[in-house]
Amino acid sequence: MIPPDDMTLLRISLTRQTVHREELSADTFTRYLGGRGLGVKVLYEQLHAGVDPLSPENILVFAVGPLTATTVPTAGRTVVVTKSPLTGTAFDSHVGGHFGAHLRKAGYCAVVVEGRASRPVYVWIDDEGVEIRDAKRFWGMDTASTTDALREETDSKAEVACIGPAGENLAKIASIITDKHRAAGRGGVGAVMGSKNLKAIAVHGTATPPVDNEDHVREVVERARRLIKKSPVTNKSLPVYGTPVLVDLINEHGMLPTHNFQEGTFNDVDGVSGEKLLERLHVRRYHCYGCPIGCGRISRAYGEEVGGPEYETIWAFGPACGINDLEFIAAASHKCNLLGLDTISVGSTIACAMELVGMQKLDAPLRFGSTDGLLELLEDIAHRRGLGDRLADGARALATAHGAPNVAMHVKGLEIPAYDPRGAQGHALAYATSNRGGCHLRAYMIAPEIMGVPVLVDRDRTDGKAELVILFQDLSAAMDSLIVCRFTSFAWSVDDYAELTSAVTGLELDGRGLLRVGERIWNMERLFNIREGFTRQDDALPQRFSVPLPEGNSRDRVVHLDEMLPEYYRLRGWDEDGRPTDEKTRSLGIEA
Amino acid sequence: MNLSPESLARMIDHTVLKPETKRGKIKQLCDEALAYGFGAVCINPVHVEYAAGLLEGTDVKVCCVVGFPLGATLPEVKATEARHAVRLGADEIDMVMNIGAMRDGDRGLVKRDMEGVVAAADGRPVKVILETGLLVDDEKREACEIAMEAGARYVKTSTGFGPMGATPYDVRLMREVVGDRMGVKAAGGIRTFADALRLIDAGADRLGTSSGVAIVEGYKWAKYSDSWMKPVRPCWLCPSRHASLAKQPKEVYLWYKQRCITCPHRDENIFND
Repeated sequence: MIPPDDMTLLRISLTRQTVHREELSADTFTRYLGGRGLGVKVLYEQLHAGVDPLSPENILVFAVGPLTATTVPTAGRTVVVTKSPLTGTAFDSHVGGHFGAHLRKAGYCAVVVEGRASRPVYVWIDDEGVEIRDAKRFWGMDTASTTDALREETDSKAEVACIGPAGENLAKIASIITDKHRAAGRGGVGAVMGSKNLKAIAVHGTATPPVDNEDHVREVVERARRLIKKSPVTNKSLPVYGTPVLVDLINEHGMLPTHNFQEGTFNDVDGVSGEKLLERLHVRRYHCYGCPIGCGRISRAYGEEVGGPEYETIWAFGPACGINDLEFIAAASHKCNLLGLDTISVGSTIACAMELVGMQKLDAPLRFGSTDGLLELLEDIAHRRGLGDRLADGARALATAHGAPNVAMHVKGLEIPAYDPRGAQGHALAYATSNRGGCHLRAYMIAPEIMGVPVLVDRDRTDGKAELVILFQDLSAAMDSLIVCRFTSFAWSVDDYAELTSAVTGLELDGRGLLRVGERIWNMERLFNIREGFTRQDDALPQRFSVPLPEGNSRDRVVHLDEMLPEYYRLRGWDEDGRPTDEKTRSLGIEA
Repeated sequence: MNLSPESLARMIDHTVLKPETKRGKIKQLCDEALAYGFGAVCINPVHVEYAAGLLEGTDVKVCCVVGFPLGATLPEVKATEARHAVRLGADEIDMVMNIGAMRDGDRGLVKRDMEGVVAAADGRPVKVILETGLLVDDEKREACEIAMEAGARYVKTSTGFGPMGATPYDVRLMREVVGDRMGVKAAGGIRTFADALRLIDAGADRLGTSSGVAIVEGYKWAKYSDSWMKPVRPCWLCPSRHASLAKQPKEVYLWYKQRCITCPHRDENIFND
């Protein structure tokens, strides 16, 4: 069963209103597995250079992987792959919840959405078939209302991935929401969906995905669950505090970006910590499909139950903007989910705007530390009204338009998340070389450099970091193709992922083989970006990171990218300009 | 270091010594010891009989602590505790020495304390815990010599409840004293495979840790990169960095800090990171 019998690719042309099914070839499956790998392969082969991301020529791929909806823990995630309107790069944006599991149970490994509908539509998928339906009455609704209305119209148990007003209005920082508060947040994937007049995909599947060897799967899954129970991160920190456990830790290291990365320590950190969230706003935990960790939070803000807030969101609306009001942060997070906005990009763009105001480059009623008018501003961003319209294209566009491009804290156009890279050299390299721009999850070097997982490495050293970044990038690309949650890597090693994959699929795959798959995906993304005109100059960090932090436990540090980047290219098998050599692409079986 | 995962596991005493430990945790400890091939489980006396039953007929030893964690009880009580532990199935005894007597220079009392346990162990290996964080180097050396004279089989760095854990510095010092005539067990604060390998490299041949599973599982990452074992800053591994006035006698604390003044890495010791 290579590939698994139910891994069918669904191709939907919104222009022609047609649906086609394609069987996944054994070769594609073996070399890309599914999820991100499959999505990137389709994107690379189908798009030509220079396609406008918001035009009908762009495609939007919703993909799951061979482990999805099996008993493997955390395997319910979905990846959305497209060419990003925010960065212009190949882009994969991931979301938890339950949507992915239902898509697989309906018999699909991917939905490739092409073209543009002439009017708002949604796609309904169940065990019986696929329909493109009218969505006019849902257009303009927020994501929670859309989810409720679609469940009423289709199936009360349907899972819905939808956009809010932000996606409809083509805000380049628009997200796609599932389960009302889980977001494929980054890269403006919601705008691509909006550009296609696609309001939502609703799905309800009931089949059980096949596995190659049930006894072996039972054995390796039991072991995988045991390891999750043994890790203090996945068994204690994340279940108890959720991702906000990081607030204190990162602040203690002087790496909690404050006032738009002008400082690395937030004086009021106690007020926005994971412990404070537990004491003040916590209602209950939230588990994505098949997840024993349960890092999700349901909180209460201004009398309403809201999803989140996550660590990154707390940072984006908190320290990044100098704000210490946790309840406001939870409310802002909720509003972003309703509107379909990426909390990281929005918070970072607002912080950028606050700094521009301080520099007298922008005339707006914004200042660090003040929440005045921010909830209304979120509405304006989603609807592209007034000042909101200027923020809707992200920090780079905003800062450039106001004559201060260095104030935008981004890589390749994607706003950098909640770790100041001056405090962790490997993480800095990971930011700079990330194929999708400023991202902490392509290679989560915070694990070894700050958390000591699997071992603590010196965060200030530059030697050896390229090798570790590559290891994490390749592994992450493979994990994103299976698909399992990044947090499992606190408990599982490379070999564990390979063993789970082998047991479920029957592929003969060891750890090195799995990393090879990840390397192939990474190189293909790189080639896509090069085809779009990206060069070595884009593997860069904001100038601010060449200026030492003034205080805190990362004080006096700057990023030494020049010491790491050549080594990174060399170990990748790329030339001095960061281009994969012919030899490299040939060895990976990629047609450049 | 060319060390197989199996060899690493055999060096580990899989440890649970917390007072709140329930029977289910002991069962889990023993199951893990069997699954991973750990050398021993290291537990409190109240759990010995149960663990011995679970591990009967296997290669995993039952190691019981005695006079734990303070070492400040009477020699007769330690001997009696050891005797009972052996009767209940203990294969090895880890005793805490009389630390106060050692600091008083009462060599006779320290030795008598150890000899009583060695005798009660009836030929089973005895490991003497020095609690290095409460001693200065000369006292550590002397304690090693006394343990050797008393017939103990190992010297062990720490309880894990004291002011410091195991450091390569202390292991190296202890190995220099005992040579190949005794074993050296490092214990306290060993959480990752890098910690373990550094201590083995310094001369440890047994490791006491409650993170045995994480260490062996984490060791699987080692083959994918040499960068995990890049040298770290000297202060990270130095006992002087971990000295604490709140947890150590003033003169011991100051002795450790005095070493920093003359340390060749003094110029690197600017901030605590």
